[in-house]
Amino acid sequence: MMHGSLDNLKAEVDMLAPGAERLVDRNPPLDIIARDIVFGEGPVWDARNKQLYFTDIIGDTIWKWQPTSGLEVVLRPSVKADGLALDLENRIVVAGWGGRTVFRIEHDGSRTKLADRWQGKKLNSPNDIVVKLDGSIWFTDPVGGLYNVGMVGKDMQRYLDNQPVFRISADGKQMTIVADDIVYPNGLCFSPDEKLLYINCSRERLIKVYDVNSDGTLSKGRLFYQYTGPERGVPDGMKCDVEGNVWCTGPGGIFAHDPSGKVLARIKTPGHHPTNFAWGDDDWRSMYITNIGSVVRIRLNIAGVPSR
Amino acid sequence: MTWEFEKVAGPYQGRTGGLAWDGNAMLFSAVQEERVLRFDPATGKADVFRNYTGRANGLAIAADGSVFGAQEGGRRVIQFLKNGSTAPTRDLLGGKHHNQPTDVIVDSVGRVWFADAYNSTAPYGPPVYPFLDHASVLRLERGGRRNWKLKRMTHDTIGPRAVLLSADEKTLYVADGDVERGDVCQLFAYPVKADGELGPIKVLVSLMFGERGFEGMCLDSEGNIVACAGWKKSGGGPVIHVISPAGTILETHPAPADMPMRCAFGDAGLASLYVTAGDGGLYRARNTGRRGAPL
Repeated sequence: MMHGSLDNLKAEVDMLAPGAERLVDRNPPLDIIARDIVFGEGPVWDARNKQLYFTDIIGDTIWKWQPTSGLEVVLRPSVKADGLALDLENRIVVAGWGGRTVFRIEHDGSRTKLADRWQGKKLNSPNDIVVKLDGSIWFTDPVGGLYNVGMVGKDMQRYLDNQPVFRISADGKQMTIVADDIVYPNGLCFSPDEKLLYINCSRERLIKVYDVNSDGTLSKGRLFYQYTGPERGVPDGMKCDVEGNVWCTGPGGIFAHDPSGKVLARIKTPGHHPTNFAWGDDDWRSMYITNIGSVVRIRLNIAGVPSR
Repeated sequence: MTWEFEKVAGPYQGRTGGLAWDGNAMLFSAVQEERVLRFDPATGKADVFRNYTGRANGLAIAADGSVFGAQEGGRRVIQFLKNGSTAPTRDLLGGKHHNQPTDVIVDSVGRVWFADAYNSTAPYGPPVYPFLDHASVLRLERGGRRNWKLKRMTHDTIGPRAVLLSADEKTLYVADGDVERGDVCQLFAYPVKADGELGPIKVLVSLMFGERGFEGMCLDSEGNIVACAGWKKSGGGPVIHVISPAGTILETHPAPADMPMRCAFGDAGLASLYVTAGDGGLYRARNTGRRGAPL
């Protein structure tokens, strides 16, 4: 297995526009949260219990981490779970990736299936997931979990001809396609006021932004930013901070964009390939970053949008 | 005798690849289109057998009618089940992920042998796992609770492209070497011992540096190896050889297109030879004077 060395690990930030230091220092402090993670993903901070949930897709585990007690298994095998979010009752909702389902983990540990088919056909491989303040659940459904090495489930046949973004209504009764114009939808996040939804595409290395309508549909999809450059890393995990800046993994690190798309900064975590990140801690100014090989934490100067 | 090829399907995008006769029709891979197609000689049409194959190349039909595919894009051998689903097989060899399988065969007891080559097209997904430091013939077999076990069979190959068993399954033929990676290409034979292990290697045919080696092979009814080889960049150009079990090249015929990829007998009495090629076509010759070994 290829794990980046964690020795002398530090975060370095490229300050790419005036005022970037308001967001993050040039050398923010960095802590190692978990080692020996094969493929970290899906981090989400549970403010009520002051703990972090994240997944190890290839390690087939949903983990919980607490500052005092450390790591504990929440679910293993995890059907190669990927993205996680918390619903209005602080339950984990899971983008099931290799298992091709979206499900909820109840407070007693039992699981409730929320979606596994579209018009009678199995979903592709739900990747990332977010819960809106009205309780609706939004997730991307690209095909990577049907092919990627170490990530597939028992049935890896693709049945859908598209790679949609879905919405499940708050009552769980309705599922609709909200976007179907992205080659490989991966990360998604709402703006702080939830009037915008950002969805990124790993294949074309771009972020699109949509207006969110009150009926749960999207409109006016337009390009927000497209990455270029030879460095490793693609749009994957993506979150907004409280001022509406958009943070997204991309070539060579995690980028911060202002609401117009302009790049403000890039966080580099050497030797690693960041997959996703979550805001956390009491002030929401920590960024928990999942990587190939580890989970780390850095401190920022701005707070993220609370995950619940 | 001049073999006369006709193009019966294609062209498809990229090279066509693996072939397998299912008793009534010829399955073949349009690797880059990520599809397996089925050419029915009764209608002369090629229909989709399976979409979204993840760049499956080599194909082999199992006793239960399911089809194994060498999935170059996903670094695994997959099994297209009859209910339309697709199952992975074990892709860890001693805890490490193997390379990019390019050819696959099934023997009479259900063991799945495959050529675990390197490939010029990167696999899907983030590069978590490096490739193995060897490219070998590997074998899958069912263990307890029908779980797949994976085992390394060859220790002297540098990049196997094709695998073939003799009719009595006592000899394994391996086409080794990828000219596009700068390999010297050879055709090997290994005795398959009663315990299933391989005996010492025998070199049947050795090519010169720069000559394109054997990419696909099948067996005729006399036990000879019919093999696609060659390209327009060297030597005798793109050809189909007939090679005796001892390694004598008995016949050499011009291939229907450059970069001939795979060959397999099909049609009634296994009397026609089908060939895939670099131009994305499916070709057929009905007058080879040879028949395929019974499947």
